[in-house]
Amino acid sequence: MDQKWQDSISQLNQRRENVAAAGGPDRIAKQHSSGKLTARERMEALFDDGTFVEINDQIASRCSDFGMEKKKKPGDGVVTGYGYIHGRLAFASSQDFTVGGGSLGEAHAMKICRAMDKAMEMKAPFISINDSGGARIEEGIDSLSGYADIFYRNTIASGVIPQISVIMGPCAGGACYSPAITDFIFMTDYSQMYITGPAVVKSVTGEVISSGNLGGAAVHSSTSGVAHFVYPDDLSCLNGVRQLLGYLPQCNLDDSMTVPGSAVDNSASLSSIVPADSKKAYDVRNVINSLVDENSFFEIQESFAKNIIIGFGRLDGETIGIIANQALYMAGSLEINASDKASRFIRFCDCFNIPLLTLVDVPAFLPGSQQEHGGIIRHGAKLLYAYSEATVPKVSLIMRKAYGGAYIAMNSKGTGADVVYAWPIAEIAVMGASGAVSIIGKKQIENAEDPAAKKEELLNEYNDKFMNPYIAAEHGYVDEVILPEETRSKISEAFNMLKTKERSLPYKKHGNIPL
Amino acid sequence: MSKYRITVEGKTYEMDVELIGSNGAPVQPVKVQSAPAAPVAAAPKAASKPAAVSSGSVVAPMPGTVIKILKNEGDAVKAGDVVLILEAMKMENEITAPVAGTLASVNCTAGGTVAGGDVLFEVK
Repeated sequence: MDQKWQDSISQLNQRRENVAAAGGPDRIAKQHSSGKLTARERMEALFDDGTFVEINDQIASRCSDFGMEKKKKPGDGVVTGYGYIHGRLAFASSQDFTVGGGSLGEAHAMKICRAMDKAMEMKAPFISINDSGGARIEEGIDSLSGYADIFYRNTIASGVIPQISVIMGPCAGGACYSPAITDFIFMTDYSQMYITGPAVVKSVTGEVISSGNLGGAAVHSSTSGVAHFVYPDDLSCLNGVRQLLGYLPQCNLDDSMTVPGSAVDNSASLSSIVPADSKKAYDVRNVINSLVDENSFFEIQESFAKNIIIGFGRLDGETIGIIANQALYMAGSLEINASDKASRFIRFCDCFNIPLLTLVDVPAFLPGSQQEHGGIIRHGAKLLYAYSEATVPKVSLIMRKAYGGAYIAMNSKGTGADVVYAWPIAEIAVMGASGAVSIIGKKQIENAEDPAAKKEELLNEYNDKFMNPYIAAEHGYVDEVILPEETRSKISEAFNMLKTKERSLPYKKHGNIPL
Repeated sequence: MSKYRITVEGKTYEMDVELIGSNGAPVQPVKVQSAPAAPVAAAPKAASKPAAVSSGSVVAPMPGTVIKILKNEGDAVKAGDVVLILEAMKMENEITAPVAGTLASVNCTAGGTVAGGDVLFEVK
C-alpha cells in the first residue's frame, strides 16, 4: 500500500474515532452518572442486537458565527440510522446530549430529515429519541427552520408510517411539537417537556414551579395527557418502544405483525367479573384480559382519563385496538379527556388497518358546567366522528349500561359498527330509569294520590320494559345477544368474517374533525 | 329626543338623549357593547385555580352523593382500602385510600352531596 492510501485511511479512521468519541469521556461519564445512556447506546438498545447502521456520520455544521467553527461537534449532536426491530426495518434519530447539549442546528435537523425521508421511502416506522437543550442559538433562524423541516415531515408521514417519540432528557420549546405530531410519546422518569421552562414561567407570570412539576413524566402521563407511556429508565423505555412496535404494521399499506396465538378462552369467568347490578363497579381490564390472547393486552395512557381504557391486544395472534368504558373510575362516564383519548386512538388504528373492539358500559356524558364550558360538545363530537369515519372492522360488545348519547358515541350500529353484540344483562335505553320516569311520568306522578308509590310503579314498569338488550335487538341495533361464555369465540369469529371488509369514504382531501 | 333612565351602581339617572345625524344622512347601525353583568374589576375567582392538594388528599372525581362512610377519623388505612362510597352517574363508586396511613380527616357526611374536585378525606 502506498503512502497516500495509508494517510487517507488513517485520516478516515481518525474522523470515525472523533464521531464515535462524541462529547468525550467526561461528558459521557456525566451522562451515565445521571442514569442515562448515550445516544449510540440507546440505538443499540432500541434495535435488534448488532443491527444498527449509522448514516451520515460526517455531517457537520456550517456555522461560523460566535466562534462556532472552532467548537467541534461530532455528528452535530445527533446520531441517525436504521436497524431492525423484531427483524423488521425501522429508522431512528437519537440526540446526543454530550455534544453541544444535543442542541438542534441546521445540519442536525438535516440528518434527522434524511432519516425520516428514508423511513417514508422504505415505508418503515420512524423513532425519534429526544435529549436536547433546544434550538442552537448560534445558528439563529436556520435552527428554527430545522424544526420546521421536521414538523413538516412528521405531518406528511402521519398516517403513512408509525412515528414514535421518546423523551429521555429535556425537550423544550419548539422541540415539543415534533413529538406532539407523532403517534406515541414515551417519557422516562427524568425527562421533561414544556413549551416554556420554569425560568420563563417565573419571569412572565411570577409562578414558581419546578421543571418536574411543570412538565415531568408524571404530569404529562396523568394530567395533560401528552405522554402515552412512562418508564423509569432508558432500557425499560426502549424495550417498551420495541414492545409497542410488535403490535403495529410497518406502514398504512401493511397488516400488523402477527405472533403465534396463545389463545386461552377465559370467557366463562366474565359473568363473575361483571356484576349484574349495574350500580356495582368492576375493573374492565379484567374483562379485556379474559378475552384477548394471554398477556397480550398493552395499555396506552393508563394514568390519563382513567374512565376509558385503550390499548392493543391480540386475538388469535392478530392485533386489535380495544376501547372500553372503565366502570371503576367516574362510573365509566364520558367526558372531555376520555373523548380525546379514545378518538385519537381510534384514528391511529384506522390509519394502520387495526380492527377495533369496543366494550360498552357507559352511563352518560358527565354533566356539569365544567364540562360544558370546557367544550364537551366539540370534544365528545370527536368520538362520534372518529368511529363514523373509521373503515376498519368494528365490533362492539354492550356489556351493561348503554344509555343515551354516550351509547351512540361508543361505536353504535348507526355510526357504522359492523357487528354489535350484547350480553343478556345489557340495558340499552335512551336514559336511566329514574331520569326517564321523572320526565315522561311527571304528570302521572303529580296527579297520583301516592306520588312515591306511583313513581315506584312507573320505575318498575320502565325497568321491565326497556332496561334490556331485546328492544335494541328487535330493532336491529344489536346483531345478537350472546352468553358470557360465548364472548371470545363470537368476537373472534366476527373479526375473521370481517377480514375482507371494504368500505370506502367519498373522495375528499380530508374531513374536518372538530378539534 | 328620547328619554332614558339608567342605573349605575344603584344610583338612578334620568337623561335626554338626542340622536345627531350628519346632514340627515342615515345613521349606521352601531354594534352596542352589552354591559358586563358583573363589576368589571372583579377579582379573579379563587376557584379557577386548583387548590393545592397533598398526595394523601382524595377529591371527588365527579359530583355525587356520599351514601356510606366506612372508616372513621383516626382509623389506620392501607392503600386501596375503601373509605367511602360515592353514588354518582348511576354507580356506587368506591373511593379508596391512595396511600397507607391514618385517616386524618373526613370532610363529607353520609347522605351529603359533593361537587367534583371537593376534598373528601385526607390520609396522613
